[in-house]
Amino acid sequence: MIIDSMLPALVYILIFPGFLFLAAYGLFLQWVDRKLGAVMQNRVGPPWYQPAADFIKLLAKEVIVPDACDTVMFKVLPYFALAAVVTAVLPLPVWTDAVYSFQGDLVVVIYLLTIPTVTFFLAGWSAVSPYAVIGSMRVLTQLFAYEVPMMLSLIGPAILAGTWNINEIAGFFAAHKALMAAQIPALFVALIALQGKLERVPFDIPHAKNEIVGGQFTEYSGRLLGFFYLAVDMEMVVGAALVNAVFLGGTLGASGAAGLAVFLAKTLAIVFLLTLVKVLMGRVRIDQMIRFCWQVLAPLSMAQILFDIFLKFRLQ
Amino acid sequence: MKIKDKLILWSRLKSPWLLHFNTGACNGCDIEIVDALTPRYDLERFGAILKSTPRHADVLVVSGPVTRQQVKRLKRIYDQMPEPKFVMAVGTCACSGGVFDGCYGVVSGVDAVIPVSIYIPGCPVRPEAVLDGAVKLLGALEASSKGK
Repeated sequence: MIIDSMLPALVYILIFPGFLFLAAYGLFLQWVDRKLGAVMQNRVGPPWYQPAADFIKLLAKEVIVPDACDTVMFKVLPYFALAAVVTAVLPLPVWTDAVYSFQGDLVVVIYLLTIPTVTFFLAGWSAVSPYAVIGSMRVLTQLFAYEVPMMLSLIGPAILAGTWNINEIAGFFAAHKALMAAQIPALFVALIALQGKLERVPFDIPHAKNEIVGGQFTEYSGRLLGFFYLAVDMEMVVGAALVNAVFLGGTLGASGAAGLAVFLAKTLAIVFLLTLVKVLMGRVRIDQMIRFCWQVLAPLSMAQILFDIFLKFRLQ
Repeated sequence: MKIKDKLILWSRLKSPWLLHFNTGACNGCDIEIVDALTPRYDLERFGAILKSTPRHADVLVVSGPVTRQQVKRLKRIYDQMPEPKFVMAVGTCACSGGVFDGCYGVVSGVDAVIPVSIYIPGCPVRPEAVLDGAVKLLGALEASSKGK
């Protein structure tokens, strides 16, 4: 009996839509991102197997743990980041409705997606190198800039749908497609904040290599670095899936292979937008980023919430 | 076991991450190395990325004759890189000390301090020569592991 109930759970967590699927799709999206960026910059770009080759090479490299750092913390942090990201995909609709869904899972996913950022901070902090410490301070400073606008932008659709359940929000927008167009400002805020969460180009301040070498990952090498990079790639999939579920109606009511196809097409479109932002922009300073997030993104998402409340009364 | 080794070798050949270090060059070779990373030559199509910390790098790209000031630092950076690691000496000065060989402030080429895997001569080197050197380094790595 226990085996009967545990087997599907293990398959969900380890194979699909959990670890294996996320790893494969995350590496693929990393390639899509790099290749698209290369094409936009008039380059050839890396071949399709590039992220896999990078990952395998890092697995087979020597791991150096600096003498001064906290050894246990230094070694377990990449796995914490990985575990948090894999857990965060379970309440999201991937090929059909989410495998594990409950009232309030929107908040749980937001917090699970914050855990990798906290591990990045601890990774830099426990490595004691000055570059890593500066990088990890920037990770935290940046967290306070993008996290609030991101959360506010996700609240708007939740209020309109009248539920904190991601599945039900996706179902609501799949049923009322016209209302999706009213969420475009919040979608914009969420995409920009996601760019900050993934530490991609306008907001790659924590690991700005011409200023602070490798940022929070300066002292990481080999397998541990590989798992951190894998966690970042997976976070891109989960972030795109979250935006897809909350703003774009999830799988649009399709299930099975058709649902998966809708999911893949829409996450690829989101990654295309993120790549476009990456190629178009240069890195901003940390104070400019915080000013932008609090003076533009936060008021915009609050206006969206107000608008959604009025719209909800109007619809009733 | 055999397949695993093959996979690891393949991944090493496909993903050389570079660390650039100037031990006292006139900047001519440095500009040419940066040139090789621009869209015109695009080293990323071979999987090469310029990394800025020795912990992430596989290949140390050294330009310039080694001055007495830089000996300690070059050794230290080399020691900070995780195994397996390779060194590319870029430019005539890095290969042998060039016109600075025998000068009171200069030790000699890079190989006087750390083991060098490949020498790329030129003053300054052309970006094509850097690409050619990288490809030959990977070829030599493949050949040497087949002999084992």
